[in-house]
Amino acid sequence: MNARKSIGEIFGFFFFLGRRTGKIRVFVLLGLIPVALAVVVRIVLHGRSGDMAAVFTEILMVFFLQFYIVILSLFYGTSVVAEEIEGRTLSYLITRPLPKPAIVLGKYAAYVLLMFLMVAVSLTPSYFIMNAARLAEPSLYLTFLGYLGVLGLGILAYTAFFTFLGAVLKRAILVGLVFGFGWENVIQYFPGSTQKFSIVHYLKSLLPYRPMGGGGGRLALLLFKLEPTAPAIAVLMLAVVAGVLLALACWFFRAKEYLYEE
Amino acid sequence: MTAVIAATNLSKWYGNVLGLNDVSLEIESGITGLLGPNGAGKSTFMKLITGQLKPNIGGVTVRGRKVWNNPALFAGIGFCPEHDVFYEDVTGFEFITGLLRFYGYSASDIKDRAARALDIVDLTQDKDRLIRGYSRGMRQRVKFAQAIAHDPEIVILDEPLSGLDPLGKRKLIKLIKDFKSEGRTVLVSSHVLPEIEALTSRIVLLHQGKILAQGDIPYIRELIEAHPHMISVRSSDPRALAARFVGDPAIQKMTFGADGRTFVVETHNRDAFFGRLTGAVLEGGVEVEEISSPDDNLQAVFEYLVGK
Repeated sequence: MNARKSIGEIFGFFFFLGRRTGKIRVFVLLGLIPVALAVVVRIVLHGRSGDMAAVFTEILMVFFLQFYIVILSLFYGTSVVAEEIEGRTLSYLITRPLPKPAIVLGKYAAYVLLMFLMVAVSLTPSYFIMNAARLAEPSLYLTFLGYLGVLGLGILAYTAFFTFLGAVLKRAILVGLVFGFGWENVIQYFPGSTQKFSIVHYLKSLLPYRPMGGGGGRLALLLFKLEPTAPAIAVLMLAVVAGVLLALACWFFRAKEYLYEE
Repeated sequence: MTAVIAATNLSKWYGNVLGLNDVSLEIESGITGLLGPNGAGKSTFMKLITGQLKPNIGGVTVRGRKVWNNPALFAGIGFCPEHDVFYEDVTGFEFITGLLRFYGYSASDIKDRAARALDIVDLTQDKDRLIRGYSRGMRQRVKFAQAIAHDPEIVILDEPLSGLDPLGKRKLIKLIKDFKSEGRTVLVSSHVLPEIEALTSRIVLLHQGKILAQGDIPYIRELIEAHPHMISVRSSDPRALAARFVGDPAIQKMTFGADGRTFVVETHNRDAFFGRLTGAVLEGGVEVEEISSPDDNLQAVFEYLVGK
């Protein structure tokens, strides 16, 4: 079987498997938090101006960008390789006529699609409930697509990073936690170009709506102190991060032998 | 005959632990039994020939082609792992069809092959149940089914009989023997001699990562027979019974158990001892409650061979 077909078959198998596991139910439930939050905010904001809704939409995006897609990518990304080792099921895959990189790429693609669907299922109702007063404005839908696109790019980049960690390290999830919730959260408050050493910087640079990006407002410290990168460069950087880390993950997976713990 | 699988000076270690030590071996078509106690290196050897591990020293080829990172080779190899592990959230049928997708078959071919493989292992009725709900024996059988579903020329089976009931074992033994008659190459591992004996007369004895002996069953049996056996006899009056063996040249050593009901003999001639024991029981006066062989296992044989 050629590499493309192999990737397709792996994708199909793990997209199917991924929908069957208990993990997906936990994360879908987690995705209901912003929906519930949106309902509460909608009730509280009843009759107020649309701008407050936009502010809360931004807070919602913090949940998605800095928590939901990070935790999803962490668990799914590291499990691309690590779950096969811990579950000792790797033998079923690497004794098949499949190029090893196809296993990584196919699983990665399957999990990315699963995560994107979970995010879309969570973002869509929460966004439109929050902005229910502006449903007639066409710009609302464009902004929504922009948010969804940014989250999609975030999933691609973060999952590639965590897939790489999972292929290289035994306890990838611990290192991933430090990176996802330590480094990524702290580095963005650093001034100058330091914040460019994080994935979240490029994602935030792409957000379609940044009312507090200029530094005003009491919540600014908690949300953004962004010195944005140009959108085209941000997209390029995210693509490079995803591409390079995936290539490295494939290379490691092909070269390394994985031992089961006795 | 050309070797299907060839290992040359194959060594593998895990940190400080030696998994396999300078093993050179040629496996021809037919059934070959890999026999050894736990930790002997059987699984390591099987993982090396299925490309799951990379040799530290030496090499391994299948049909003359290197194994490591050579996926094309696996179209003709079926592997049944030792561990009881699965993708648990799928049914037996989904498990087999899912793995068959990796061979490039059409959808209908995949279904046919999966159905056939599950039928062979008698799981047709349970094919739509989740694997996590399968019994140990059923899990063992579905694991075997995934190894043969693509009709491989070479079948590598790591402890395939463990966990099976006697009937299941008999059926699987027959299946494996059928593979032989179809001209395939089968490598089976076990730590139980009678299991391997039921499958093949061609045996490789592994111990502590080294080939201790290889040959046919009579040769291995000969090695085992040369080993002094310990036989434990529990009786209502062990001392009276033991008295009948004093002076018997077949007995080398005799000890009495602390429970006061057993005596243990060490003999080079097991058959002669059992003959005399039967005679003693038939003569009457002493009742034998139980006869067992504390060291009638491979480990004892290996220890004997290593110490020789």
